[in-house]
Amino acid sequence: MKSMGRTDLPVAQQEALRKAIRWEWFTIGYTSVTIVLIALVVGGSQAMKTAWIEDMLSLIPQVAFLVSLLFIRRPPSRAFPYGLHRVMGVGHLVAGVALLVIGGNLAIESIGGLIAQEHPAIGTVQIFGQTIWLGWLMVAVMLLVIPGPFFYGHAKAKIAPDLHNKILFTDADMAKADWTTTVASIVGVLGIGIGWWWLDGAAALFISLGIVWDGYKNTRSAVLDLIDQRARTHDDKQPHPLIGRIVGELEAQPWVRSASVRVRDMGQVFHVEAFVVPERGRVRLDRIEAARAHIADLDWKVQDVVVIPVSSLPDESDR
Amino acid sequence: MLVRRALATAVLSAAAAIALTGCGLTIPTDPDGTLERVDGGVLRVGASPSEGLVEVSGDAVAGPLPTLVEEFATSRDARVEWTVGSEEDLADGLEHGELDLAVGGMTDTTPWTETVSVTRAYDDLPGARGRSVVLLVPMGENAMQSALEAFLDTEVSR
Repeated sequence: MKSMGRTDLPVAQQEALRKAIRWEWFTIGYTSVTIVLIALVVGGSQAMKTAWIEDMLSLIPQVAFLVSLLFIRRPPSRAFPYGLHRVMGVGHLVAGVALLVIGGNLAIESIGGLIAQEHPAIGTVQIFGQTIWLGWLMVAVMLLVIPGPFFYGHAKAKIAPDLHNKILFTDADMAKADWTTTVASIVGVLGIGIGWWWLDGAAALFISLGIVWDGYKNTRSAVLDLIDQRARTHDDKQPHPLIGRIVGELEAQPWVRSASVRVRDMGQVFHVEAFVVPERGRVRLDRIEAARAHIADLDWKVQDVVVIPVSSLPDESDR
Repeated sequence: MLVRRALATAVLSAAAAIALTGCGLTIPTDPDGTLERVDGGVLRVGASPSEGLVEVSGDAVAGPLPTLVEEFATSRDARVEWTVGSEEDLADGLEHGELDLAVGGMTDTTPWTETVSVTRAYDDLPGARGRSVVLLVPMGENAMQSALEAFLDTEVSR
């Protein structure tokens, strides 16, 4: 028998993947430039520091995605009979936990600063013989970096459903909301400017809570897939429609009395166990094989399929 | 998403508040009003002796740094009130609002950055002899610091 799972992609998905890889590299390049730019002006503002660290953290999902890709291409082997698709989930989990921990740390730091009433200091710089307040440069840099994430966030959000890739989806989701971080840091710096020192700490707290929230979402989504919740759509909003379609197709076979499935998300692709109660006590082998092939033809995501004849359907399976 | 939206609303209203109160304000402004108090008033300066920069004999403070400070005070229509003490005395004075400025042999590697704000380093001060000299101001009094740095930029060729 040929191997069960499949690690190559249909043409449309290959194209989407190529685009996704290009956008991820673009994001890494863009973010690296903004990290350097912000480093030049970061100064004594806690909000700027937090936004700067957030920028660095935002690289983790891209790196996790690109590294995972190297693994999930490998075909299943005897040592890894389901393939290496779960690497994507592990990458997702690592990204989520990193955001959660560092975001929490930054939140505590900014609360500490507010309680201790630390007044952030921002001095001046001399550029071309002019002495200007560094805060203006901070605002200028942050205004400059606002549009980027908006742009690539929407591009990635368009690709993510085609690939059924949750790292890509949450990454895009975070990028789309990134402008709130940047605006918050500008508000913090302007707060320092008008003498409202606490606004800087408040802005830093807002940004760090945003990081914690992103971390929570990512961690939750990754853990749920790693502990084999039933497959859901790329945005986790509802059970995946393929579940109902597979059951429908099986029950349409004349030799099948009833059918149900257990479908788990391996990260981009699904693993399907289909249970069928036959009309009679005997089942012909070629019918089982045909049912398997038929399910695999439904969608590129469902290639790793087993069809199991049973006398009654398991309670926990989807019907 | 809900949390983000609520927070975003909060940030935007804060931004609007700034825009409104921003009319007629100078940026940066001191949270504790140091520069406003100094202008036309008294500049309370701490001095710590350092060879070539600050010389103290009895109650008199002299040297290149005190001269610069006197000139800065003049530019703000203020008169200088000197206090002499150790660096730690001066840092404490700044932290507790008893001083507006401190000078001495502090350089850009000064360990006091936790409690006081440090100006940019000036290498070309008379008497600096290769040291990257900094002045200390109260933490977060950004108008004061900016005015001082702008003054030093014009007085000292870096």
